[in-house]
Amino acid sequence: MKIKLNNTFLVLSAFMALNFIAATVRAQPNTTGHASDFSSVEYFEPPHQQLMKFRLSGAEAQPQAGGLLVINQFKLEMFNTNCTPGLIVKAPNCIYDTIHGVASSPGHLQLESADGSSHVEGDGFLWLQASHNLYISNNVQSVFVTASKGKTGS
Amino acid sequence: MKIIYLMTLLVLVIDGGRLQAQTNVSAMPKPTRATNAVTHISSVSAEFDLVARRAVYRSNVRVDDPQMKLTCEQLTADLPQSGGHVDHLVALTNVVMDSVDEKGQTNHATSDMAVYDYKVQNGVTNETITLTGNAMAETAQVILWGEPILYDRIKGTLTATNQHMIFKQNLTTALVNTNAPVAQTNLPVAKTNFPPGTIQNIDRMTVPSNTQ
Repeated sequence: MKIKLNNTFLVLSAFMALNFIAATVRAQPNTTGHASDFSSVEYFEPPHQQLMKFRLSGAEAQPQAGGLLVINQFKLEMFNTNCTPGLIVKAPNCIYDTIHGVASSPGHLQLESADGSSHVEGDGFLWLQASHNLYISNNVQSVFVTASKGKTGS
Repeated sequence: MKIIYLMTLLVLVIDGGRLQAQTNVSAMPKPTRATNAVTHISSVSAEFDLVARRAVYRSNVRVDDPQMKLTCEQLTADLPQSGGHVDHLVALTNVVMDSVDEKGQTNHATSDMAVYDYKVQNGVTNETITLTGNAMAETAQVILWGEPILYDRIKGTLTATNQHMIFKQNLTTALVNTNAPVAQTNLPVAKTNFPPGTIQNIDRMTVPSNTQ
């Protein structure tokens, strides 16, 4: 089930809701609901409009007033235009502002490349959906693993 | 005799300076890569552009690389594609780099800005660090200022433009080992073993920056 909302498609998969409807990503949510295993997907601009740009998902979402969602097991997956997964952002929990497209949390966050070669951790983050910028506030630790390419030079 | 000795010494030093200025200085270690090189970057805060795959680390930035440690106040990094190599870094403000070469000698460099570039073209790997803004590099042998200073990590060389260099060679130490034991001479231990009255206690020589 996909609903187009300003180039944003929302897919609610296998959700349990008490009057909680998926189309609340850009609208005022019903604050009495509760969802699990949900995801929200945005697609690339043409000519790659059939390809996923990112997928935001969570194990559990609790709607709050003002279009906010409290998400447990937050996960944001960025995809490349060749359909391969790129970067993955994970956080135990966060608040997602469905109206402004902003996710934030004072808690821990992990950012890693799909192949595991890059890994970033930090505490406290803000993600802006429109620009896809991720800000980490404290204790940023990054690890990049590079395969050997030998020792040559021009 | 004194004059000949002094002139010989100056020619050697100045000529050495020319060589250093015109060619690459083989002063830094050639990197020896492990099978998987791990680079750590830490900072107080950071900003990631998840589409452009660019990271900007801010405040107390530390880079811990197998060949080098770097600290600065801001570091911009292009995140590698899957399995790729970090190919572009820009370090700003109070940049300090330290490395240890194959002989265990410490190399040290500071600047206002450092740009790291890694590129593989036609099977040839190029890996350089360009220091600008009050750039200084210090090895076991020399202290080098330049604008800019280019460090070729593959060749293990330093190249400086508008360079100014100080040789750190300690002539006292170098010559003591080539002469008779101190106890068998009449010269004070603190002085050199040159013939009395020539040059004594010189351990540094500055080469003018216009020796190129």
